[in-house]
Amino acid sequence: MLKIENVFANAGDKEILKGLSLEVKPGEVHAIMGPNGAGKSTLGNLLAGMPYVQPQGGSVQYMGKDLLSLEPEERAAIGVFLAFQYPVEIPGVNNMYFLRTALNAQRKYRGEDAMDSAQFLRMVKQKIKDMNMRDDLLKRPVNVGFSGGEKKRNEVFQMGVLEPKLAILDETDSGLDIDALKIVADGVNQLRSADRSFIIITHYQRLLDYIEPDFVHVLADGKIVKSGDKNLALELEEQGYGWLNN
Amino acid sequence: MVGLITDWLKQPEKLAQELEQQKADEIPAWLQEKRQSALQKIQTMKAPSRRLESWRYTDVNRLIKDLDSFQSTEHHEKINATEKKDSVVIVIDESGYTGIGECPDWLTIQTFNNMSPGDWHEFDFDSESVVSLANDLLVQTGGLISIKKTSQPINIHIVYAFDEIDDWKYIRNQFKLAHGAEVNIIEQHQTGRINVINVYDLADHVVLNRSHDIRLNSSEQFISFNLFEIPENVTVTNMNQHIGGSLQHHTHAINFNKTGSKYTSGSINKSFDNNHITDIVNVNHSFKNNQSDVTHRSIAKDQSQIFNNAKALVAVGADQSEIEQDLKNVLLSPDAKIFSKPELEVYADEVVAAHGSTIGALDETALFYLRSRGINIDQARDIMIESFEQEAWVC
Repeated sequence: MLKIENVFANAGDKEILKGLSLEVKPGEVHAIMGPNGAGKSTLGNLLAGMPYVQPQGGSVQYMGKDLLSLEPEERAAIGVFLAFQYPVEIPGVNNMYFLRTALNAQRKYRGEDAMDSAQFLRMVKQKIKDMNMRDDLLKRPVNVGFSGGEKKRNEVFQMGVLEPKLAILDETDSGLDIDALKIVADGVNQLRSADRSFIIITHYQRLLDYIEPDFVHVLADGKIVKSGDKNLALELEEQGYGWLNN
Repeated sequence: MVGLITDWLKQPEKLAQELEQQKADEIPAWLQEKRQSALQKIQTMKAPSRRLESWRYTDVNRLIKDLDSFQSTEHHEKINATEKKDSVVIVIDESGYTGIGECPDWLTIQTFNNMSPGDWHEFDFDSESVVSLANDLLVQTGGLISIKKTSQPINIHIVYAFDEIDDWKYIRNQFKLAHGAEVNIIEQHQTGRINVINVYDLADHVVLNRSHDIRLNSSEQFISFNLFEIPENVTVTNMNQHIGGSLQHHTHAINFNKTGSKYTSGSINKSFDNNHITDIVNVNHSFKNNQSDVTHRSIAKDQSQIFNNAKALVAVGADQSEIEQDLKNVLLSPDAKIFSKPELEVYADEVVAAHGSTIGALDETALFYLRSRGINIDQARDIMIESFEQEAWVC
């Protein structure tokens, strides 16, 4: 599904990713852990197409396409989704309108018919029920006045509605209390399927108690320095990242 | 002043002829006197120029420009007055106030011919407002629109619809709202090169929601001077949308004349191509315990220009006044210009006042957020602009 080979990338004028390689197959869940400033969020932003992050070398193939040559909206339409670390507030635009606009833009790109408002309403009401979230989320302006936890839940809800093929969760667990963490994790677990993959960027092992990863990678100084199974996350929790300096 | 008459208003001979002609058409004597007085005053003033604060950011040559030179091919969708079933529609055209049919008993309209001279609102226009003094001199259409209190809020829809679109049309609407009246007034432009004075003379306990919806094609021009005389326990909400046009120049003067009232205004100014828009709000807190809340959201694109100015003057003794001025502006292209100026002049001791002004581009992170959900960049910008405007929607 996703093959990142020896990628170099700058955030602004600073070199952040320095020869990162990673392969994600359909249905796999990869956790990316690492110290502050290692390049975890830059990786997520690079894959989603943030203009501030510019590739300098290497390649990213996604379902046979050169991902880095596509606009952010094209990447979304072919199934790439980034759950933001800091979701953006958009006053005056309600969640329902925003999501329907996004979904129909993606469907149009893929040559599918637009979903009318009645169909859409039925679908989102079912989704919000399945994901155990409150339906007042739909009527409120996008992320405006949301608590930190509500913003993260809204990201997971958007993911549920847009049904991406590759979901990148950038520190979705940060700022969540334990109940909110469970709701977010349940939302992700419901979406797990044989043809949907996840890259979960996190600082802490606790999210991985609820979302079991197939692989855990340690990202340090712009590249992956160690990979393993879920036990690696437990080791990191015990040992921290001090060993990287040895 | 010679420049103003010869270059902008009219050739002196033509002006004299026109005034003479209007005498023959039985303009009341009192109005002739007002005009003579305006003529004497205007002759002492200079033509509008960039030396004046309120015209500094506008190409004043556009005032005299032949509108044909813009060669606009845009047309407005005609506003269908008969479809406004819940409103009394007043169309203002070459024939004056038309389209009303039979006036409801709560509404009285008196044109200049049957209006009492005592009802004529006297202004003391200065150089900055010389274009409105020109209205005093050349006013052709208008009168006194008196509205009584009713059991339900009432709706009035004013439409400017002139067939002849090259020459300036001078209009004065004086609204007089009775004690306790609740009125929604929508003022909308359809066709015509308009110079209008609106006077809102409000009694105590009035609730006025006013919407000023001026959307012009690239050759059209609209100048307005809007005065709100606000006594006690009055609520005024004034929503302005100024979109496009070769030239738009709007001045709002708000006078708090007693206590316990609130004025809230929102302005959305949108310019593109080569539009010039000026939006000035002057609030005079002459008495204590009044509140004014002025919000502007302006968006400029291409080579267009916008000037925003919100000024509040709080007089000595006008304690417990509350003032907020919030002016935010977005530039969508490198050649567009916005000049934004919030001003507070406070002479009272106990006042709560806040003002702010920002100018910038659309937030890149928010744009990326929308794009990352599949929305293309043009639609993402539209959504961002819609979101930006929301805070100025006051009614």
